[in-house]
Amino acid sequence: MKKVILKVVLYTIILLVSLEILARIFHLHNERPERYLDEYGVEKWISNQKGYSITGNRRQNVGEYRINNFGFNSVYDDYTVSKDSIEVAIVGDSFIEGFHQNYTNSISRKIEREIPEIKVLEFGYAGYNLSEEFNLIQSYNHLFKDIDKVIVYMRYTDDLTVGEYKVSSRLSLNTPVNRLLKQSKLIVYAKDIGLFDPIKNKIASTINLIKRAKPNDNVEVNKDSIYLANFKKLVKTYNYDKEKNVLLLDYSLCSKEFLEYLKRNDFESIDFSALFQNDSRPKTLIYDQHWNNLGRDIIADEIVRYLRKENLQIKKSL
Amino acid sequence: MLFNSIDFAIFLPIVFLLYWFVVNKNLRLQNFLLLVVSYVFYGWWDWRFLSLIAFSTLVDYTLGVLLGKEEKEGKRKLYLWTSIIINLGFLGFFKYYNFFVESFVDAFTFFGQEIQVGTLNIILPVGISFYTFQTLSYTIDVYKRNLEPTKKFIAFAAFVSFFPQLVAGPIERATNLLPQILNKRKFNYCQTKDGLRLMLWGLFKKVVIADSLSPIVNDIFANYSTLSSPVLLMGAIFFAFQIYGDFSGYSDIAIGTSKLFGIELMSNFKFPYLSKNIGEFWRRWHISLSTWFRDYLYIPLGGSRGSKLKGIRNVFAIFIVSGFWHGANWTFIVWGLFHALLFLPSFLMGTNRRYVGVNKSGFNIVILAKNTYKTIVTFILVTIGWVFFRAETISDAFNYLKRIVTELSIGEYSHPNGYRLIDYGLLLLFFIVYEYIIRGKERNPIGFKNKYVRLSVYILLVFLMLLFYDDGVDRSFIYFQF
Repeated sequence: MKKVILKVVLYTIILLVSLEILARIFHLHNERPERYLDEYGVEKWISNQKGYSITGNRRQNVGEYRINNFGFNSVYDDYTVSKDSIEVAIVGDSFIEGFHQNYTNSISRKIEREIPEIKVLEFGYAGYNLSEEFNLIQSYNHLFKDIDKVIVYMRYTDDLTVGEYKVSSRLSLNTPVNRLLKQSKLIVYAKDIGLFDPIKNKIASTINLIKRAKPNDNVEVNKDSIYLANFKKLVKTYNYDKEKNVLLLDYSLCSKEFLEYLKRNDFESIDFSALFQNDSRPKTLIYDQHWNNLGRDIIADEIVRYLRKENLQIKKSL
Repeated sequence: MLFNSIDFAIFLPIVFLLYWFVVNKNLRLQNFLLLVVSYVFYGWWDWRFLSLIAFSTLVDYTLGVLLGKEEKEGKRKLYLWTSIIINLGFLGFFKYYNFFVESFVDAFTFFGQEIQVGTLNIILPVGISFYTFQTLSYTIDVYKRNLEPTKKFIAFAAFVSFFPQLVAGPIERATNLLPQILNKRKFNYCQTKDGLRLMLWGLFKKVVIADSLSPIVNDIFANYSTLSSPVLLMGAIFFAFQIYGDFSGYSDIAIGTSKLFGIELMSNFKFPYLSKNIGEFWRRWHISLSTWFRDYLYIPLGGSRGSKLKGIRNVFAIFIVSGFWHGANWTFIVWGLFHALLFLPSFLMGTNRRYVGVNKSGFNIVILAKNTYKTIVTFILVTIGWVFFRAETISDAFNYLKRIVTELSIGEYSHPNGYRLIDYGLLLLFFIVYEYIIRGKERNPIGFKNKYVRLSVYILLVFLMLLFYDDGVDRSFIYFQF
C-alpha cells in the first residue's frame, strides 16, 4: 500500500514537472503585463512590456502585445498630439485593447491603413468601465483636449454598472502569491482553459451550503433603469463633450430607453450591431467573447465610414 | 456522480483509504462500506431513485433465497417469472411507457382512428437498464442452478449496487461478481497499478476523444441538411469514435476503479473497430450486453441449433431486442435490425465465428492487406449503422445517408466555435495507431515493459487531456441515457 501511495506521489510530481516543461516549450500559456496606478490615479499597464496573449486550448489564438511608454498597447512609443495633424483616440476595455491580435494589426492600425492622414491612438485597458474611461479622459485632459475625435467604446451590459469612478479591485490581484503562481506556466494555462472552474465552483457551493445562503431572491431588478441613471450621472460628472466624443455601441445589447435617451439628447454614436448580425461568420474568438480579426475588421470599417462622413480634415481647416 | 467530475476525484480517494485502512480487516464491514458508498454515488444524481434499486435488491434477494429452498419446478418457475416481471416492469414503465403509448396512438392514427392516451412526464432513472439486467442474471442463474443463492443480504445488495459499474456497466454476471464480494479482498499492488492505468486510459478516451468530438458531431447532425457529403461522412466517423471513446472510456474507468477495491469486472470492449466482420465486432463491442443477450435470450430461444429459419429468427430477435434496449426510439430498433442484416450473411455461411481468438500467425503482407481491407469495410458498415443510432428520427438518418451519396461537392465546414478540424484528424490518427499497437491488451493498455515508454505515455495522455479539455461541453456519458 505504501508503495502505491509513494508511486502515485512520485508520478504526480514527474507529471507536473513534465507538463510544466511542455507548456513552456509549446508556449501554451497566456502572458499578462503588470499593472499599476499612475500619478493621476489611472490604472494602466506598466510601460514597455512585451508578450503574447494566448487564448483557448492548443494556442487557438495568439496575439503579440506591446505596452508603450504611456501604458497602453500600441505601435506608437509615445502619444504625442499635434494641432496641425488629425488625431483620433479610441478609448475602451479589452475589446479595444486588442491583446487578441498582433498590436501591429489593431483596430487603430486598420483604420489608419484606410485613412492614412489620420493618426489613431489607442487607450484600451481590460476591465475598464465607462467611469474609468471618462476618468482617463479627464485625468489626461492636457492630451485629449488636442485630440480631434474621441471614440468611446461602451459595452452596455457591462460598462454601466457604476455611476462614479472608483479604483478597481484588479490591482489587489497583484499579490505576491498570485505573482508566484504566475511563474508556473502550467497553472496559468490550466486556469485559462477553465480547468480549475469546477474546483472553484465546488468550493463556492460548499461554502454557500455551510452558510446556508439563500439563493438570490427573485426580486426583479430593472438593470436598464440603473444603467441609464449611471450613464446620466457619469455624463454630468465628467462634463461629456458631445461635439468631440462619439460612443461606439452594439445597439442590440442596449435597452430601448437608453437608445431613445441618446437620440433625444443628441449623443453621437456608431452602431455596429447590424453589420455583425448580417454576417453569419464567427466574429468572436474560440472560448472567448472578444472579437476575432473579422469582428475587428467590421468595427474598423464602421469607424472608417463614420470618420469619412465626419470629414475631420475639412472641419479642422475651418 | 460522474467519473470525470471533481466530486468523484474527492470521493474515490476517501473511499479507497477507508476501504483499505479502516474496514480492511472485516469482510462484512468492507461490503457494508461498498453498499453505503454505492448508494451515496448513485444518490448524488437523484436520491429518490435509490428506492428502486433497494426494492429490486430486496425482491431478487428474497426470490433467490426461495429458489434455493424450492425443489418443485412449478414454484421455481413462478419465482423466476416474478423476478422477470417486476424487474422488466420497472424498466418498461420508466423507459418504454411513453414510447408504447405514442406508437399505439400513431398506429391508430395511421388506420384513421384518432385516440387520446396521455403520456407521462417520467424521468428515466440512470442505469436502470444496467442494474436490472444484472439482478435478473442472478435470479436466472440461481433458477438454472448455475449459482448458489446467497443469504448474505449486505453482500447481495453490494453486488447489485457496486458503484463502479452501477450506472453504465459492464453488466456483471452474478457468477463472476458475487463470489468476489462474498470473499475477502486483499490489497494487491499489481492490481491497483493496473487499475490506475486503466482509469487513466479511460479518462483519456472520455475527455480527449469523446468530449472533444462531441460539439462537432452535434453541429453536423443538427445541420446535416445543409452540409456536403465529405462533411457528413466526417460527422458519422467522428460519432463512431465519440461513442466508442465515451462508452469504452466509461467501462475502462469502471474496471480500473473496481481493481482498486480488489474486484475484477469483465471486459466490455476489445478494440471493436479492428474487427474484420460484424460477428467479430459484436464479440468486441459492449461485450457484457451482447453476452447477456446471447446467454439469456439467444441460447434459450434455441440459438443456431435447429432449422436455419429458426436460427434467422433468433438472430433478428437478439439484434432487435438489443437495439430496443438502448432506448425507446425507432432509430435504435432500425439500428438493431441493420446489424441483424449485416450479420445474416456470415451467419448463413457459417463464417460468423471466423475471427474468434487472437491470430498469432507471422507477418504476411497479403494477409495484412486483406485484413486491413476487411477491417475498413466492417468499420464503414458499422459507421452507417451509427447514423441510425445518432439521428433523431429514422427519416433524418435516411436523409443523412442519402446526402452522403448525393451531395458529393467538396464543401467547406467551419464549426461556429471555429474548431480546427486538422487537430481532430491528427488526434484520431494517433488514437487509431495507439489502439492498433495495444490491440489484444484491453485490460492493460499502458502496460509497456520499458518504464520510460510507460512514463512517456502517461505524460503524453495527460498532456493531450490538457490540450483538448473543453470546459464548455456536456460531460455526462452517452450511455447514461440508456
